[in-house]
Amino acid sequence: MEIDKENVVQAVVIMDTFNNHFSPICDNKPMGLLQVAGIPLIDFALESLSHGGVGEVILFCCKGGQKIKDYVRSCIDNKAIWSVTMEVQVMMSDTCQTMGDVMREIDAAGLIRGYFVLTTVNSISNIHFGSLLEQHKQTCKKDKGAAMTLVYKKVSWEHPLIASDKPTFLAADANTKKVLMHQKYKPKSTEKSINLPLEIVLNHSEVKLHHNLVDASIALCSPSVPPLFSDNFDFQTRDDFIHGILINEEILASSLYYTLLKGNQYAAAVTNWKTYQTVCHDVLHNWTYPLSIDTGLSYQNTYFDMGNHNFRNKNSTLSRSSSIVENVLIGSKTVINDNTVVTKSMIGKKCVIGNNVTIKGSHIMNNVVIKDNCNIVNSFIDDNCTIEENSVVENGTIIASNVVVQAGSQLRGNILESTEAEREKTLMKSTSESTEWENESSGSGGDDFIGFEKTWSDSESCYSSDGSDESSLPDSPIPEDTNIFLQEVIDSLARGYEEKLKNDYLILEINSSRYAYNIQLHEVNFFVVRALLSIPVLAETKNVLSTVKDILKYFKPVLSNYIKTKSSIMDCLRAVEDSCIKCQWLEGKCGQILHLLYEADVVDEDSLIEWRQDLEENESPIANQPSLVKFFEWIEEASEESDESE
Amino acid sequence: MFLYQGPVKELDDKFVTLIGKFVADIKHGKIRGSTNRVLAMVTLLETIITESQYTTALELCGAIRAAGRQVMAALPNELGVEGSGESLQRLVLAAGARRATLGTAQHDLREPLRDYIAELRGELESSISSICGQAREHVHGDELILTYGASAITEKFLRAAAPRKYKLILAEGPDPTESHAMANRLSAAGVPVTVISAASIYAVMSRVNKAALGGGAVLSEAGLFSVTLAARHYRVPVLALVPLYKLCPIHDLTPFNSSGSPHTALSYDHHEATSDNVHVYAPMYDFAPPDHVTLFITNLGGSSPSYMYRMLSELYDPSDYLL
Repeated sequence: MEIDKENVVQAVVIMDTFNNHFSPICDNKPMGLLQVAGIPLIDFALESLSHGGVGEVILFCCKGGQKIKDYVRSCIDNKAIWSVTMEVQVMMSDTCQTMGDVMREIDAAGLIRGYFVLTTVNSISNIHFGSLLEQHKQTCKKDKGAAMTLVYKKVSWEHPLIASDKPTFLAADANTKKVLMHQKYKPKSTEKSINLPLEIVLNHSEVKLHHNLVDASIALCSPSVPPLFSDNFDFQTRDDFIHGILINEEILASSLYYTLLKGNQYAAAVTNWKTYQTVCHDVLHNWTYPLSIDTGLSYQNTYFDMGNHNFRNKNSTLSRSSSIVENVLIGSKTVINDNTVVTKSMIGKKCVIGNNVTIKGSHIMNNVVIKDNCNIVNSFIDDNCTIEENSVVENGTIIASNVVVQAGSQLRGNILESTEAEREKTLMKSTSESTEWENESSGSGGDDFIGFEKTWSDSESCYSSDGSDESSLPDSPIPEDTNIFLQEVIDSLARGYEEKLKNDYLILEINSSRYAYNIQLHEVNFFVVRALLSIPVLAETKNVLSTVKDILKYFKPVLSNYIKTKSSIMDCLRAVEDSCIKCQWLEGKCGQILHLLYEADVVDEDSLIEWRQDLEENESPIANQPSLVKFFEWIEEASEESDESE
Repeated sequence: MFLYQGPVKELDDKFVTLIGKFVADIKHGKIRGSTNRVLAMVTLLETIITESQYTTALELCGAIRAAGRQVMAALPNELGVEGSGESLQRLVLAAGARRATLGTAQHDLREPLRDYIAELRGELESSISSICGQAREHVHGDELILTYGASAITEKFLRAAAPRKYKLILAEGPDPTESHAMANRLSAAGVPVTVISAASIYAVMSRVNKAALGGGAVLSEAGLFSVTLAARHYRVPVLALVPLYKLCPIHDLTPFNSSGSPHTALSYDHHEATSDNVHVYAPMYDFAPPDHVTLFITNLGGSSPSYMYRMLSELYDPSDYLL
C-alpha cells in the first residue's frame, strides 16, 4: 500500500484567482462554481485531472471553502467518474491572500510527498498530467535544481487568448529547454522592443525566443517548490516565483524549464471575461475533447447536436418559430418561446425566455427569466435574475444573481449587483457609478480589469467600453496627505476670513498642519495660494473679482510670509494656473487674478514672463485664454512705458 | 415477455462504483481495442452476477438490464460503433439466463451462468483468429488489396494472408502515425506495402482487386465512406471484417456521430480556430451503407449483407432488442 501511495500523482488546485476580474459574479460564490459552457469550472478541473492520470487532488480554497466542500461531496455521492479513480481533499484557509500564502500553508502542512502538479481552478486542459510529470522527473535527473516545468500552449499572435491576456515573452535554451528569461506584458502593450541580456546569447549555443505562448497556469513542480515559497516571503504569485528564481538562480540553486503542448492538446485559463468567452467557444467546438459540454457527473449524453454547433438539452423546449442560429448551448428544462432568436450564446438550466427576444453573444446562467421583447447582446446574466419586458441589455452588461431589471430598462455596459443586506433586489450601480467601480478595481487590484467584450469576437476592440481607458489611471491624482492638507488650509483661511482672525495665527495654523502632514516648503507655497483662491466664499459671491481683491488684501501678510523668493513666486503662479483650471468660479478670469496679484506686488514681471513660457511649453489649457493674453499684452506695454519713462 | 416490462432494478452501490470505473477506464483510454472492451464488459457483468444476492432469472435479468442501461447512457457511441458488443453481451447473458431457466425459476442460476460466461469468453477470444483463418480463402496471389487506416483485426487478417504474396495499398486514416506504424509492421512481416494518402484512394481504386476493411466495418472511422464509394464505382469487392460481437441489434441513431477534437482539420494555433464565423467539424465515424459491402466476414464464415438479419436473430432473442 505504501509503495502504491508513492506512485500516485498528486495535484494541487488553487481554487481562487486572487483578483477581481470576475467581480461581482465571483464576489459571493467561489470561482470554482462559475459556469463555463454550462459546467462549473471545478468539474472541468477535476475531470481533466482524473483524465490526466492524477490520483490525489488537494483543492485549496481561500474563500467559500464550505461551498466547494459541499459541492465535492455531492459529486462523490452522485458517483462522478473522477471519484472512482481520484482522492479529493478540500483544504480551507481564510488567511491566505495570495498564491504564495497558499504554497507556504501547503509546505507547513506537509501535504506534498514528492513531485506534483500545480494548477488553478480556472485552467481547462486535456493534457495527460502523469506523463508530463514523468517528463519533469527526467529533467530533474539531469538538473538537480530543476524546480518547475511551465506548461505553455503555442498559438498565433492574433489568437484571442493572447490578444486579451497578458502576453508572455520567454527566452530559453533550445537544447535543454531551460528558461532564461520570462516577462509578462500588459495587455495591448505598446512596447516595441525587448531587452535581451547579452550573456543569455553568449552563454548558450542556441536560444529560443517565444512570444506567442498561452499560459494556462499549469506547472509541474519538484518537491522543492513549497519550501522555496516558505523561504522567500516576497513570492506572492507564480510570476514572482518565476522572476525570483530567474534572478537568484545561483543563490536559490533552482532553475525553471518549460514545455510546449502538442497539436491535439488543449490548455487555456479563464482569466477575464474575454478569455471566458473564448474558452466557452472552444468547449462548444470540442477543442477541449474529451472534455465537453457533457463533462460532469457521469457523461450522460444529454445534448442534441442541432448542427452549426448548436446544442440543446433533451429536456429543453423550443418554440417552433424560434430560431437558433449558431454556437448556442441550451440547458435542460429551458423554455424558449415564439419568434425568439438566439445566436452565439449559452443559456443555462431552467430559464424561461419570452417571445420576440433577441439574445446574441451572451451568457445566461440558471433560472433566469427573460420576458417578452427584450434585447440581450454581449452580456452576462447570473442565476435567478429576471429581465422584465422591453428591456435592452447590451455592451458588456454584467448582472449578478437575484437582480430584477425593470421593464423598459436600457442597460449598456452597466454592472448590476443585488444588495444582500437589505434583502431587496434593487439596482445598486447606475451608469455613472459603473465607471467609478472600474477605476477602483484597476487601482486596488493592481491588475488591469478587462471587461466583457462589446462585440462577440471583434479582434480590434480588446477592451469593452467598460474597460477601455482604465489602463491609464486618472492622471496624477493628488496624494492623500496633501489633499487633506489643502482642505485644512482652505478651512483655516475661510474661518480666518469670516472671523477676521489675525494673519499671524493663520500662519501658525498652516505651519502646524504642514508639519503634521509632512509637506514640503514649495508645496506649502503652492497650496496656500491654491487655498486662497478656493475659499468657499468665492463660489457663492456674484462678483468674484472684487471678492478676490478683498481676500488678497486681507491675506497680504500671509502671502508675503510665504511668497518671498523667485521660486516661491513660480509656485504661486502655478497655483493660480491650477486653480484656474480646476475652480469653476475662476473660469476665464486668469488674467484678472494675475493683475490683482501683480498690483498687490505678490508677483513680478520677470517671473510672469518666465511662467508664460512654461505655460506655452507645457501646452497648458489656459495658455491661450483671452484674459491671460490681454494681461500679458498689458504687462508688456506697461514695462515698455516704464522703460520709456526712465 | 414479462421479464422486460418490470421496473429496472436499482443496482447496489458496489456495482455502481464498478460501472463508473469501467466507464472511466474506457473514457480515459485505458482499455483500448474493441475486443478488450467487450472482455472487460463481460468481466464486469460476471462480477455483478456472481456477487449479487439475486438468484432467480428475473432478478438477474433486472440487474443486468440496469447495468446495461447505465453503460449505454454513459457511452452511447462506444456502444453504437466500436464496442457495440457491450450491449450484445448483456443481451446474450440475459437470453442465456432465460434459456437455462424458463420454468424452473427457483434454482440458483449463478453456477450454470458462470459456465455460459466462460464459453462466451472463449468465443470472444477466438473470434479474431477464426476470422484470420479465412484470410487465405479471400486473398490470392498477385492481388492488389486496399485497406484504410489502422485496425488490429485488419492487420492480423493481412498478416495471416501474407504467404499468398499479394501487394497491399494502405490509405492513411485519420491518424497517419498509426497507419504508418501498421504499414511498417506489415512490411516487416513480408507484405509489400504502399502507403497513399486518403485523397488518392479514388485514383488507385481502378487497379485494386479487393478492399479489406476492419474496425467496425459499417460504422467505422471517418473517411471510410469515400473508400466504399470509390470501390462501388469501380465494382471492387469490399470485404468487411466483423467479429460477431460487433453486431448489435439496438443502435440509437440520434447521436449517430460524435465529433472529436477538430485539431485534425485545423490547428488550434491559428486564430481562425476560435473565430466566430468558422465552424470546424471533425466527425469521428462514417457510415458505409450495406450495399457498399460485398461480404461480411464473421467468425462463422462469410455472409452477404442480406443475410445479416438472420445472424442477428440467431444471436439475440428479439424481445431483447429493447432494454
